[in-house]
Amino acid sequence: MAYQIGLYLIYGIAAQGIGFLWGKTGVLPLGQSLFFGIAAYVTAITLKVDGNLFLNLVLAAMVLALIAGVAFVLATLVFRGRNESGPYFSLITLALVMIAEQVAGTATSLTGGFNGMSGFNSLGDLDPFGNFYYVIVAATVAVSLLLFILNRLPINLIAKAVLDNEPRMQLLGFPTHMIKGAAFAFSAMIAAMAGGLFASHQGIVTPTSTGFALSAEMVILTAVGGRFHVLGPLIGAVIVGWASAELRGSFPYWELLMALVFILVVLKAPGGIAELLEAAFRRVWPKTPTPLTPSVVAPPTRSGTRPAPLRFEDVQLKIGVVRILNGVSFETPATGIVSVIGPNGAGKTSALNTITGNLNVTGGRIMLGEVRIDSRPPHNALGNGIGRKLQVPSVFFSLSVSENLAIAMMAGRLRMADLFRTTPLQWRSRSLSRVLNNPSVPLKNELTDPVQHLPQGHRQFLEYAMTVAAEPSVLLLDEPCAGLSPDETALMTELVRVYQIETAGLVIIIEHDMSIVEAISDKVLVLHLGQVLAFDDYKKIRDNPDVQAVYAGGTK
Amino acid sequence: MSSVLLLNLAWQISTLALVALGLAIVFGKLRIMNMAHGEFVMIGAYAPVITSMLGLPGWLQLPVCLATVGFVAFVLERTIIRHLYGRMFDSLLATWGIAILLREIVELVFGRGYQSVSPPLTGTFSVLGADYPAYRIAVIIGIVLGFIGLYLWNTRSKVATQIKAMVGNPELAEAIGIDTARLSAGAFVFGCCTAGVAGLILAPTVRIEPMMGLDYLIRSFFALVVGGLGSLEGLGIGAGIIAGTQTFLGAVASQTYGYLAVLTLSILFLWLKPNGVRSSSH
Repeated sequence: MAYQIGLYLIYGIAAQGIGFLWGKTGVLPLGQSLFFGIAAYVTAITLKVDGNLFLNLVLAAMVLALIAGVAFVLATLVFRGRNESGPYFSLITLALVMIAEQVAGTATSLTGGFNGMSGFNSLGDLDPFGNFYYVIVAATVAVSLLLFILNRLPINLIAKAVLDNEPRMQLLGFPTHMIKGAAFAFSAMIAAMAGGLFASHQGIVTPTSTGFALSAEMVILTAVGGRFHVLGPLIGAVIVGWASAELRGSFPYWELLMALVFILVVLKAPGGIAELLEAAFRRVWPKTPTPLTPSVVAPPTRSGTRPAPLRFEDVQLKIGVVRILNGVSFETPATGIVSVIGPNGAGKTSALNTITGNLNVTGGRIMLGEVRIDSRPPHNALGNGIGRKLQVPSVFFSLSVSENLAIAMMAGRLRMADLFRTTPLQWRSRSLSRVLNNPSVPLKNELTDPVQHLPQGHRQFLEYAMTVAAEPSVLLLDEPCAGLSPDETALMTELVRVYQIETAGLVIIIEHDMSIVEAISDKVLVLHLGQVLAFDDYKKIRDNPDVQAVYAGGTK
Repeated sequence: MSSVLLLNLAWQISTLALVALGLAIVFGKLRIMNMAHGEFVMIGAYAPVITSMLGLPGWLQLPVCLATVGFVAFVLERTIIRHLYGRMFDSLLATWGIAILLREIVELVFGRGYQSVSPPLTGTFSVLGADYPAYRIAVIIGIVLGFIGLYLWNTRSKVATQIKAMVGNPELAEAIGIDTARLSAGAFVFGCCTAGVAGLILAPTVRIEPMMGLDYLIRSFFALVVGGLGSLEGLGIGAGIIAGTQTFLGAVASQTYGYLAVLTLSILFLWLKPNGVRSSSH
């Protein structure tokens, strides 16, 4: 019995790794038994050659590190330049595991071919039917504890934010492809550890240990058990494993039943058994609302670079056959507020997209001071001191207001070591506090509310607050007053003006409302048909006959 | 390069293009990542087995194939797939479950063992100085003609235009009177049926077993990754590159190397050219 449970727990550990990756970042690995199997084979080979425990453990650590490195590079390459996870990565992991199974079955001299490898003692010569069980239990507890600790660290919030809104994370300066790569590497390491235990526990490793069927089974265990909870995959592995051992022999439709259960879970209960259990538990033991933790003064931001003029030099942007920017050239002052106006389709938002790197230019270049900034990935924009608010409020809808602000506070401030401390979750800068303490700004009383319940206007203020939290020296605002009441519009323009004075930086704002443009602009840039029609102060723009022709419905 | 290798290339490329066609429609147009695509190929390949089990004459293989695959696809679309439009990631998971389900059902009915069927055309045909199975040559010609027909249909027919409209903007398409629910269901069933026909065609040349579909899923998916979604030319180019690489390396080295090369190629494409060779919508 303990022997069987030991095996379920080993699968459960690997499934916990899948749950971490899939539940938090949304990346679904379909080939996790690749790492499981490789580690199992390596363990088998090492144990066969030499039973020295210390040597074996050192080697295991090296193999784990190697697997993590390879997994990280692979995932980072595939995710680079994308802002969603899509099916591509899952299919690649699936292909990898199919190759691995083929190699394991044919490279007879290394792996023993289809008969597999056997005839080695378990790690530390423990009895697989006795004491080794405690090693497995210890490993299960250790992995679960580690995952519970990770849940309390900034990493957890960052991973959830990546799943929720990857483009926004990139604009906040997070290299999301590397975050997902690291999560994949971590889950690969857990799978590999489980594989090592498996070899030692079973005493035989065959190509099925690195095969497609095992991968599929692990995903099912994770989904059925519940991918959003640390213990979910373990519960899934033990329950499904036990039920399968009881029923498989007497009930011929067992596999069919599992497939149906899996489909049902996907369609109706994505949280799996763990969520059902938790809901039942909460009925008896209602969750007490967690009080807001007191804030801690945030370290200084790294994204406030020295003010510098932004210069477009004959910038071209072509997508397919459509020419969106057609030789745009202008140079802003290093400090001040520049409004961008122009009819729909003039290329205003596209121009901002080229500044942040969301679109690569097809000709010309963009300079910020002496630094060339065009055509680099969006997550590097904040490093150049550029922050951006999007046209349609882009925030993390599944998170609360305070969690949204916590992510924004980490932008441009977080260092590697901060990932492993809890204080970054409480960071609050002075300027953000000032925005929140402004009695007209609505956010302060709804900090614990989920963002999806917020009205449009409040979302605008939230995204604005998140964008300025990193205190970028170049602030790009795309119609920040859209959907706001007149009072809110006045407040927003006031906030922008104060921000510009405080940071002495550059603000570029796309706006249609001419009264706002008149009130705040030091300079006005008029775009029309992907070209600069005029660039001057407001009065001269108003009197410019070309601009009047475009706005009075004339054609130019 | 020997002429047999050339003909093998033509065979592999044309059959892969046919297999990938259905995935291109379902993934490219409906945004359903159909992980059960290979299982429809598998069911199609079982059609001759079903036909002979029922004691029907051989010429009914195609109708039996279309009826079986079409029925399965229709039922799945009505019960599961229709909830998944616009939820690509959930579609991947649910169809993954469907794939397991279909494999298990087929295994229960036909057993796990290999089946084989004989081709309707026997004998060889002399092309380019090599004797090549007449069946394969007929299939290559048939697939090429089929794709030409599909290309013409795609550029001219009203349904193709409606599908394009639906892909571009489902709500607007519905507003101007296109029945998108029926159109999606039709496209899904059509896509699965092309996979089934591909399975039927491949049946005499492969081992028929419940797990055979996976390989076709992966190769068609990679053909789409390399070729790009949305155009028939892209599909052809993608199938050419994937099947070409695999056949060539499989001939000079081993199947495993062929597989590795295809995988490496796909990762390189995803990294450097994420939209494939041809990504424009046709």
